Formats: sequence, C-alpha cells, structure tokens
Amino acid sequence: MSETKVPLVDHLFRHQYGKMLAALTRIFGPSKLEIIEDAVQDTFIKAMMTWREGIPPNPEGWLMTAAKNRAIDLLRKLSAEEKRALKIDSGTTAIALGEVFLESEIEDAQLRMIFMACHPSLNPRDQIAFALKTISGFSSKEIASALLLKDETIKKRLVRARKSIASSDLEFKIPQGADLPSRLNRVLEVLYLIFNEGFHSGKKEILVRKDLCGEAMRLCQMLLKNSFTETPKTHALFGLMCFHAARMEGKLNEENEIIDLKNQDRSKWFGPLVIIGNQAMIKAVESGEYSTYHYEAAIAAEHLKAKTFEETDWSQIHNYYQQLYELQPTEFNLLNIAFVKMQLGKLEESKAILESFHPKDLEQRAYLYHGAFAEYHLLKNEKSKALNCLDEALKLVKNEAEKRYLEEKRESISIS
Amino acid sequence: MKDFMLIFMSQSYESQGLSPDEMQARMGKWFTWQQKMAADGVVKNGNALHEQRRHISGPDRVVSDLAATGVKELVGGYYVVTARDLEHASEIAQGYPDYDLGGTVEIREVMVFDN
Repeated sequence: MSETKVPLVDHLFRHQYGKMLAALTRIFGPSKLEIIEDAVQDTFIKAMMTWREGIPPNPEGWLMTAAKNRAIDLLRKLSAEEKRALKIDSGTTAIALGEVFLESEIEDAQLRMIFMACHPSLNPRDQIAFALKTISGFSSKEIASALLLKDETIKKRLVRARKSIASSDLEFKIPQGADLPSRLNRVLEVLYLIFNEGFHSGKKEILVRKDLCGEAMRLCQMLLKNSFTETPKTHALFGLMCFHAARMEGKLNEENEIIDLKNQDRSKWFGPLVIIGNQAMIKAVESGEYSTYHYEAAIAAEHLKAKTFEETDWSQIHNYYQQLYELQPTEFNLLNIAFVKMQLGKLEESKAILESFHPKDLEQRAYLYHGAFAEYHLLKNEKSKALNCLDEALKLVKNEAEKRYLEEKRESISIS
Repeated sequence: MKDFMLIFMSQSYESQGLSPDEMQARMGKWFTWQQKMAADGVVKNGNALHEQRRHISGPDRVVSDLAATGVKELVGGYYVVTARDLEHASEIAQGYPDYDLGGTVEIREVMVFDN
C-alpha cells in the first residue's frame, strides 16, 4: 500500500500550537500561560487520538474549534476558582471570543506573543527558548537538542521566562509609537540569533538546523505582514536570511563536514531563495536608510553573485564591511575586514588590523582569529608559522564540524 | 480464523511531554497502521480509552479514582483483529506505533463458547 501517507501539511501541529497559544493568551492574559499551554497540549492529544481513524476535512478548523471550546471550559473553571462571575455568553467577552479566532486576529496575537517573548524584562537567553516554545511550538527537549543544551537548562529558562512575565505583569500587545523601534530591534535580533543557531550549529542533523532557520524566516515573514513591523530593517533581515539559507546545502558535505566558501559546489546553492532575497532587498533599500542587516545582506549577495570563488568582487565586499564596521564596530567585523584584505593581496594591512585587537575580544570565536593568522602566514608561504596558528585555533574550537575542518586544513598543509 | 484482542499498554501521552511535531508524526503512524489493517481486512473493532480511571474492588466494592500520571502500563485502547493464530496476530501487532515510547501490546485470543 503506497497511499497510506497522512494528508497533513508538515508541521501543521507545530504551527497551530503557536496560533492557539497566542489566541488563548489574548483572551486569558499572559499570567495564565501555564494553564493555557496545558490546555493546548490536551487539544493535540485529543486530535492525535481522534484522527487516527481519519483526518477531518478541515484539520485547522477542527483544532481551532477544539481550542475555542477548551477556552470556554477554562473560562468557566477559572471564574469558578477565582469566585467571580465571568460572563462568557454575553457582552464583550463573547464578542472577543468569536473574533479572537479569526485568521487576521490570530496573526495579530502571534505578533503580540513575539513581542512579549522579546520583552526587555526577559533575560536574552531565556527569550530564545521562550520564543521557540510559545511561538514555534517546540518542546523543551527539541529546543535543547537544537541549541545543544540540556533539557533541564531549557526547562529552567522557560520557568524563569514565565516568572518574569508574570512578575512584570507584561501587557500582551504590539508596542506603539516611540517604544516600537527599539522593541522591534530586539525582536529582529532574537530572530537573527535563532537563525544563526541553526545556520552555524555544530549539530549533526541537518533537519534540526533547517528547522531553526525555517522558523526564524517564518517569524520574520509574519512581521512583514503587519504594517507596523514591516520596516526596511525587517525586509533586510529577511533578505539576509534568504541569502544565507540559499547556501545551506552547499555548506556541508555528505559527512556533515564544513566546506569553506572557496570549495563549495556553487551549483548546490538554492536559486529560488536568492530570488526571494533579492525581492526583499528591493523593498529594504527603498527608504535609503541602511542597517547592519542591509550590509550583511549586501555582502552575502556579493558572494552569491560570484560564479566562482576567484570571481568574487572583494573590493566591493571590502567596501560593505567598512560601512558595516561603522555601524557596528566589533572585533568580529574587524576580523572579516582582515580576511577580505588578504583576498585583495593587502597582506600587511590585514596583519595590522589583526594586531589591533586581541583574540580574547572574540570570546568563543577566538579560534577564528588564529585561523585568520594561519591564512595570512600561508599566503606569505610561512608554513610552520601557519601550523602553529592552527594549533592555537584547535585548542580553542568547540564546534565539532569546525574542529574537523581545521584538522583537515592542518593535515593538508603539513603534507604539501 | 479466530479473534484476538490487542490490548495497548503504555504511559499516558499526557505524561510523555511530546511536542506538537512528535504528536503529528505519531498520529501519522497510527493512521498508517489503521489503514493497513483496514486494507487487509483484519480489524473487527477497537477503541481508544480516556485516561480517567476508577477502580472498584473487594467484597466491599471499594471505589477509588486513580491518577493516570506516572502509571507505566495504562491501558490506552484495544483492537479486536481476525487472525489465523497467535503468530499471525503477533505479526499484525508489529505495526503498533508506540513501542518506542515504552508501550506494550498484550495479545489475547477471544474465547468462543460452543452452545
């Protein structure tokens, strides 16, 4: 029997989870989050049991109706517990209940949830875990696996996030006016962090990594659908994610080993995403105001444009990095500038930049500093110095795939 | 052909902490199994059971409501299938999707009384 495939969209449950949670939070408020999460979980268990015998014609509608009924049960239960009468069959609550489950209102509720997850009163690390749980419908185990952390750690972060939300009595809304830009900035940062967790992860299973990148992109698209959060910056971040994601398949070989930009099979880069990215960038540059995402996207686009590594327009990339550094003067950007200067043959300038800061400034990415210096010595044909640098890098590298990459590089130098 | 009851015992889904994605995948497996059995014409009937449990026991008919959480072998449902023998019924039970969650299938032949 070949036609036994269940006719359900991939991740339907996961996406519906986020929708239902957001809609119910809008009714009951963030302080009831735990009860709401349990209720939504129950609804899915019910669906899982019932749908075994056959999928309903409109699965999403089924789930929403179940969630709505569950909401009514909850309202009764909560009003009984709190010994006050919440009238659910008349007046404003009834109207709200009906409207809350409209598609447009659910989207609005999900945006509120994103802003709550990224509220400054939450610890930044908790924000990522909380966003993946409440908006993206990951379990703590799945988050732990994706972020290469322990389940316990994630559970603690989730508890802490819920506590912060309850104790700061956060409002469930999209910030307005003067608050909006800074709050939106943080949302974009968190989405980019989630994306990068997937893109740079040392996690072996490519599926998990694609999941994280896909989620970040999906949430970014949600922001683009709302007139308040659809800004040039949001478009630029989305474009940037498209450009990076387009290279995802080319970045790893069959054994999940990292292939550097120079040696990637560029035919594996995914064209349709580049097109979507380009469309996003057209909207991103309309206002003429550029953010770091704009420059990062421009750099990624330059790489995508080059048919071979040798054809890369390094002077254009150099130019973008300089502008990026002006907006974001970090050591990491300096490191990139140094690398680009090597490609341009400006070896001494490159060295001077590297010597202007300390590897420790790069924190957990310090190994990249030694890797860059190794590259410098190689270009100067100073093999033994290059090997020493790679040894330093190998001492510091944590990510398994990166480690293997460095080891192989070391191997190839010592035998050549 | 004889009738066999396949009785499914496992921890409750509630206490497994499954993610929405995992639940969707699990439902798909159940659906596939169900479809296959239907196509083979082996299922006679079956039901899934609610978790709420009440025991009545002893000569005094003591009634107790029991929690489902933490119970390793909670009966979650059953199918009655038609099979040649126990071996055949075991083959059918291979498709049960929850072995990886620590689930167990108990297979019992339905007794037939000659009148």
